[in-house]
Amino acid sequence: MLFFSFFKTLIDHDVTVELKNDIQIRGILKSVDQYLNIKLEDISVVDELKYPHLSAVKNIFIRGSVVRYVHLPAAAVDIPLLEDATRREAANQAGKAK
Amino acid sequence: MSFFGFDTRKPAVTGAGFSQARDPFAGLSEQVDDGEALEFEDTYDGLGDQLDETDDVFNDDTFGDTSGITAAPVGKDFDFFGQTAKVANAIDEEHVRFNRQAPVARAAQPNIQPSAAASLAQVPVTTPSSYNYASASQKPARTGYEKYNQEPVAELQVDAALWGVAPKKQQPTQPAEVSAPTAAPSRKFMSVEEVEAQMRAQAKKPVQQAVPSPAPQLQPQTQSQPAFHYDQAYQYAQPTSLGPIPPEHARLGDQPVHPGQGHPIAILQRPHSKHATPPQHVPQPHAAPPVHPRQQPASHVPPTQILQNPNRLSGDATRIVNQPHGAPPVLPGHPGFPGHRPQGSFSRQPHLMGQTSQLPQMSEEEKAAFMEQEAKRAKRNHKIYLMSRDNGIMTPQDKNFVTRIQLQQLVAATGNPNEHGTDESLAEDFYYQVHSQIQGGQRQHPSQPLNNFAQTYLFQTGSRLGGPRRHNRGPENHMQRMEQQVQRAVEAAKNKPKNKQLVIEGSLGKISFSNAKTPKPLLNIKRNETAGEVHRPSSAHKHIQAPTGRDRKTELRSIEVVYSTLMEMEDHDRTMPPPPANDDDAEGRDRHIAWNMAAQELNKKLWKALRVHDEQANGGVHPFIALLSYSKGKKAMERIFRHTTTEQRATILTLIVVNLDNLDVVRGAQVTTGEIQLNAAMRENVELFSVAVMPTLFNFLNELELDLVAGVLGLVCDRNLDMIAKSRIGASMLTMILSRAESIKREGGGSEDAWRAWDAQYTQLFNLLEPSLPHMFPGTVNTGDDMYVWQLLALIGIGASAEQQQRLVLAVKDRVMDTVTLSKTLPRDLAHHRLGNVNLFMHSIGLDVELLQ
Repeated sequence: MLFFSFFKTLIDHDVTVELKNDIQIRGILKSVDQYLNIKLEDISVVDELKYPHLSAVKNIFIRGSVVRYVHLPAAAVDIPLLEDATRREAANQAGKAK
Repeated sequence: MSFFGFDTRKPAVTGAGFSQARDPFAGLSEQVDDGEALEFEDTYDGLGDQLDETDDVFNDDTFGDTSGITAAPVGKDFDFFGQTAKVANAIDEEHVRFNRQAPVARAAQPNIQPSAAASLAQVPVTTPSSYNYASASQKPARTGYEKYNQEPVAELQVDAALWGVAPKKQQPTQPAEVSAPTAAPSRKFMSVEEVEAQMRAQAKKPVQQAVPSPAPQLQPQTQSQPAFHYDQAYQYAQPTSLGPIPPEHARLGDQPVHPGQGHPIAILQRPHSKHATPPQHVPQPHAAPPVHPRQQPASHVPPTQILQNPNRLSGDATRIVNQPHGAPPVLPGHPGFPGHRPQGSFSRQPHLMGQTSQLPQMSEEEKAAFMEQEAKRAKRNHKIYLMSRDNGIMTPQDKNFVTRIQLQQLVAATGNPNEHGTDESLAEDFYYQVHSQIQGGQRQHPSQPLNNFAQTYLFQTGSRLGGPRRHNRGPENHMQRMEQQVQRAVEAAKNKPKNKQLVIEGSLGKISFSNAKTPKPLLNIKRNETAGEVHRPSSAHKHIQAPTGRDRKTELRSIEVVYSTLMEMEDHDRTMPPPPANDDDAEGRDRHIAWNMAAQELNKKLWKALRVHDEQANGGVHPFIALLSYSKGKKAMERIFRHTTTEQRATILTLIVVNLDNLDVVRGAQVTTGEIQLNAAMRENVELFSVAVMPTLFNFLNELELDLVAGVLGLVCDRNLDMIAKSRIGASMLTMILSRAESIKREGGGSEDAWRAWDAQYTQLFNLLEPSLPHMFPGTVNTGDDMYVWQLLALIGIGASAEQQQRLVLAVKDRVMDTVTLSKTLPRDLAHHRLGNVNLFMHSIGLDVELLQ
């Protein structure tokens, strides 16, 4: 749930989603679910010349399984908090494993 | 499902003109599809095989061009109209002839109608939308597209060819054959199994002749062809004045079991769409037989589907209404099947029926008005249909299910409002919960305990990447405060110029002249010395930074223990019970005591994890200082201080001061007189230390009394002061200590003894520091970024005696003059900034750079 929790805080921020087929889509993150499916608005493809078929698309829903990377807006990430959240997550997982 | 890819073609089919010609064919093709789905082999009665193909020769007569016909079925474009166009003349002639001989021609139609009916029945199931569009588009048919309306006939025939049954001139045998298939449709609606059973049972006795009925609907004249109809049908038909009615009644009579099912209606309606086709059929009444095979598939359509798409039926009905010929016949039939229609369309039916039945008796005007009305109604109904096209597709259970899923996801996405801020949601969703707290996003629960967490991270200063909020607090705040303190001290010193020694002023000026001429030799000599010194510690530092694998691991692990303990403590803080209201509140007091006990346990655990009291390994670094060499160790400092007692903090401060020259950020970050050579990692380290650790220490130091401050200064003096002074962190630490003493002095704090002790310490510091003074500046004068040195110098100058100030000036005069000289070549803002830094120092000793210029 850490990633879900994390991405929820990025809602309404500009992110770039890199898909497994190498397409990079930049847009405003509108929603994310526990599968890390992503809904972007106001999108633009980074290499538009190469992938012109998306140039008319404004909103997009991306299945989480096809996402390779999400480029984060660094300013929107609270690093110490994220570190602690990670520790908690690790502790949770360890607790569950036992 | 579709062999021919009709699905993709459908939009085109719905167009006007050509589309109308194609539409019926599309319906037929759908039939084929359905037959496939229902296992055509099982339901096919082999009628096609019985067809007499001996007269295929006459196909030319029918189609005008044999080659065209054969080609059409294979291709995907099915250009029937094109084929027909070739014989347009003939068709026109036939049209005219048809108009004249209408009665006769239509009499011949019945054969075709069944097939049409079947196809119609099919359509709803497989291609609801396309069919409806077609029907909609067919409304305007009355407005000049009659010719196109007639085309479908040709298609029907071609379609027959598709099946390879080229079925002309089988009239004699048809009636019997037709009856069987038509009967099947009605039966099959019961269920596939039932249908099959019935089929087997009844196939041999094709008594019920629904087939003929569609034909009669088309034209009143059908009555003139009793040959096709069964006696029963006629009995029903004759009482009514309209031809179409009888056939339907006949159906009712024949198959009383099925009236409740919508299928008959569908079949009945179909003919109307086709009804325009008769003209072309006239020459070839035999088109019907080939169609029969298709009828069977059609008959299998489950009744429910038809019911679920009632609008299709209504659509047909509307179309029928618009078609003068077809309308009257069909409508009368509806009353017989009240249950077939959805309420919407059904309610309309009786009305239509009543009027349509009178249609023939109406005057032209009335008719026109009526038709107009009907057209409006049809339009409206079509709209309703469009909107409710998918009515009934989902059962209430389906809807509930979907709603549940949506609710679940909603809860998952936003968190259950009930458990907001609870431990579970915190455990699962920690980052989001706290982050939104910090950002102020969710204030629904302003008083919830999460605020503790928010506080923790809100004021955390460890992250340099933090957003603007962190820039406004924490380190900046601390630096500003420190600068303000320095500034205030300098101001105070300036306001009461205790040392207005013109000598110094003069000497400064003098020295500056000479220095301006020959500054280099002096610098060169010293540079060599510093260079040698610098290298040694930096190599030693390497050792610290790259501890052996085991050490590093254990150190990192103990840092993690520190962090997890800190988190436990923060969690624990959250659950702090309210202090007992009064002495009687034993329970509350107990809880409070228990809580305090737990807190102390945690504190002990933290203290142990910090390893402050661990033995220092031989020649190594103190374990705690080692922890501080890791960035996350540095970041933990502030949180550690929040959860430790004053004594513990003092211990930590002492420990740090004692090991000041062992800190990686001091040993590894020695300034040089050349360009700054620190690598990026070390620069980052220094930055992090000054941002994460220094403010914490500064805040703590500001609470200390003078004697403790003097003690700290004494500790510093015991260390390698040169090394300390030549690092940014060390210099800042000295600044901190001195500024605290200055502020105590200004506040009038500190006892006489304490001040005496302080003065002694200060003198010792000054003596130790004097040789290092000229080498404290980072880089050359061009480098800039030496503000912290000027701050330290200023504080030293404030506390210094006149004699010490003189020595101070002598020590740094080079740098002062260089900076002043340099600032003349710099842009105004930059020059102002640099001179301001220098002035910090100059003011502290009662001077100003203005005097040098």
